[in-house]
Amino acid sequence: MKHAARVVLLAALALVCASARADREAFSQPLPGLDDEARLERFFKGRGLFRQAWVIAPSQDEAVDGLGPLYNRITCIACHPKNGRGQAPADEHAPLRTLLVRLSLPGQDAHGGPRPHPAYGDQLNELGIPGVRGEGRARIHWEERPVQLADGETLSLRQPRLSFSELGYGPLGDIRTSVRVGTPVFGLGLLEAVSAEELQRMADEPKADGVRGRVNQVWSVERQRLEPGRFGLKANQPDLQQQIASALHGDLGITSPLYPQENCAPQQRECQKARNGGTPEVDGMQLMELHFYLSQLAPPPRRAPDRVQRGEALFAATGCAACHRPQVQAGAQVIAPYTDLLLHDMGDGLADGREDYLASGNEWRTSPLWGLGLIEQINPGAGYLHDGRARSLVEAVLWHGGEAALARDRFRALAKPDREALLAFLRSL
Amino acid sequence: MFRCKAWLLALALSPASLLAAEPVVVLTSYPEEMMSRFEEAFEQANPDYRLQILWRQGFDALPFLRQADQGGVDLYWAPSPGNFARLARDGGWQPLGVDLQGLPPRIGDTPLRDAQARYQATELAGYGFAIHPPSLAELGMDAPKDWTDLLDPRLRGRIALPDPARVGFAPVLLDIVLQAYGWERGWALWSEIAGQSRLVSRGGTLVSDEVASGRAAVGLSIDFFVASAVSNGQPVDFVYPVHGGLNPAHIAITRTAKQVDGARAFVRFVLSDAGQRLLADPDIRKLPVRPGVYAELPAGYHDPFAAARKGGYAYKAASRERLALVTSLFVQWLGQPHERLVALWARVHAGEAMGRDLQAVRAYLGVPPISAGQAASADLLQLFGERQDSGMQHQPASDQDELGRREIAWQFHSATRHAEAARLLDEMGL
Repeated sequence: MKHAARVVLLAALALVCASARADREAFSQPLPGLDDEARLERFFKGRGLFRQAWVIAPSQDEAVDGLGPLYNRITCIACHPKNGRGQAPADEHAPLRTLLVRLSLPGQDAHGGPRPHPAYGDQLNELGIPGVRGEGRARIHWEERPVQLADGETLSLRQPRLSFSELGYGPLGDIRTSVRVGTPVFGLGLLEAVSAEELQRMADEPKADGVRGRVNQVWSVERQRLEPGRFGLKANQPDLQQQIASALHGDLGITSPLYPQENCAPQQRECQKARNGGTPEVDGMQLMELHFYLSQLAPPPRRAPDRVQRGEALFAATGCAACHRPQVQAGAQVIAPYTDLLLHDMGDGLADGREDYLASGNEWRTSPLWGLGLIEQINPGAGYLHDGRARSLVEAVLWHGGEAALARDRFRALAKPDREALLAFLRSL
Repeated sequence: MFRCKAWLLALALSPASLLAAEPVVVLTSYPEEMMSRFEEAFEQANPDYRLQILWRQGFDALPFLRQADQGGVDLYWAPSPGNFARLARDGGWQPLGVDLQGLPPRIGDTPLRDAQARYQATELAGYGFAIHPPSLAELGMDAPKDWTDLLDPRLRGRIALPDPARVGFAPVLLDIVLQAYGWERGWALWSEIAGQSRLVSRGGTLVSDEVASGRAAVGLSIDFFVASAVSNGQPVDFVYPVHGGLNPAHIAITRTAKQVDGARAFVRFVLSDAGQRLLADPDIRKLPVRPGVYAELPAGYHDPFAAARKGGYAYKAASRERLALVTSLFVQWLGQPHERLVALWARVHAGEAMGRDLQAVRAYLGVPPISAGQAASADLLQLFGERQDSGMQHQPASDQDELGRREIAWQFHSATRHAEAARLLDEMGL
């Protein structure tokens, strides 16, 4: 590499490694130690692909063509703005944008995963490239219900109700659905470093309050076998590469070595006839660059943790830390993701009723909480939980049920100063 | 699992159910952040319509829009003036059909729409200097106000210059200086500026990174790249030079548009006060084309109309062929190897600091391979027009074609002039 380019890369490194950034790029910083040119170059290439708008094939921009034919958005960053959270639509008139709807029929596929709908696949692609009909529109209608805290304070919880219109390929019939917003994409390399043995050890560990936790077992496309799941809201992906390839395929309609077939169902004839952007559209190198970028994105450091010690103690005392584990062994290092990566029954309130490998309709993977306190700043209005229904951290906690019901009840019973202390701790993450 | 309730009936009767069945298809090269903002704001203001955004870089958009069905696109919105002009010549647009009152037809020497109003500028980007105020304070200097200020000895080695061969917006930077100072003086300036700059091989983000990190005290850039760095909390600022340049983005409705009413609604929205104010969003930061909205923008927001009234925007947008030509000249003459140029200028500056007269050496370094007259030759420009470059992937000069032979001659000019300059410096013991 030429000297000038080297200088530029190292300068960029100096910038991006600035520690403890609490600005709007706090979710876009690399892990410490990304200090050689080749790795930094890969990081920037992966960043470019993550922000890339994909184009319809054929194109002179050959490296990035192949959008669709059916898709949801044209960039990865659209659903993970600033590498953070997407946002649920405000009402039934607003389009989904950063939210998607998973679809399946009752039952399982050959590997124990969800059974795709024969006409629509496993995800509603609202858009088609010109000449290819989109699959339809989904809308969210919110139903509100009041809930009261122990100190008398009341607030309203909203629950999404889903409806479809303009269906392009016939009626959906008896289907399972699950509504998801884009989730933060930092810290994934650290989570990938948690061994299968450690996952199982955490699952086997005795826990109080009836908390259980189990490891999902999901299909590895690359290795053609069942493996522990760790990525995705139901831990339905075994590794980061498959998570990325699956999202490229499902959200953008981009094929890759792991998913080489276009996302067209047999009766989607226009879709099948559309030109592709190569076979596959993302090659192994690009997939590796995306993987490298996402695996190297650092979780933001905590802000002023010594000021929220009481809240941290309450977080543990209420039982939140049983699943949102503050310490997890990830290879040789201990990380603080505030998750155990395990499936837990979260009760009927959060249930989507859609099985995903071993995950039942009531089970969700514990969401990591690192970076939680910066969401309001980086993704204002994004909300919390898998479908963005919670408009505040309090609402998010109150939605917890099932194995988390006791912890939730303890939270609800807290006096206001204690509740505020616990929330201050969450905002420090 | 989702039961039909009364709200479903309400939904069926709601305005959303009256949506046009097909979306308005917008082709753009704008980034996600900008398009998301406009998509959301437009659909909120116009619930009867929805957008479908497609993306293509400028060079890739032209053949796409030249297809018989124009790619199914209703509306093209992009900072690629050449594409709008060429498609207008092809009959690719239909009349905009919207009220353009309050929108000036030009700013300085930059037209903001074509004579038949088939396309209209929607916003402007300004070229200039990203600065790192702490570094400038350390160097004990004010922010540069114009291009000649970049020759300040304190900035040597502290300027980030986007490589015109690899960064899409950089050729216009070259041309702004050539127009402002004339061919000979302009190129002499570029030789010396390049000789004390670091070439940055990637676009605006990396120039901003260079400056925000303090590695460079000044970076040549476009305002919106820097503005987003500012909004992200980085210690950078932007200076619009006295001799500035503007790159307009335009909007046009395709001849074959199916959603003409929706397309017009979007054009109206982008040009409305609300749409123009949205350009000041921290993640967008473009310059509105409706002068009336500047009074409502944050304090200190650059008003190019005010600057133009003082003669600040005399730059005339160059043709694609002209930009290709000045880029090639830069690359063959100053850019390869750039290190040789940097070393020669360092020796010149060191000698001049010792009080030596080095005008003869400067002449070897500052005179371009061809004159202004030769550069304006229709034959030469046509050769650049015929070259099939793909975006920033330039073909290497080859002696198998006429243009390649000329470029090799420019390389030879560079090598011999630089060798002569080195010989003179050697003789002077510098």
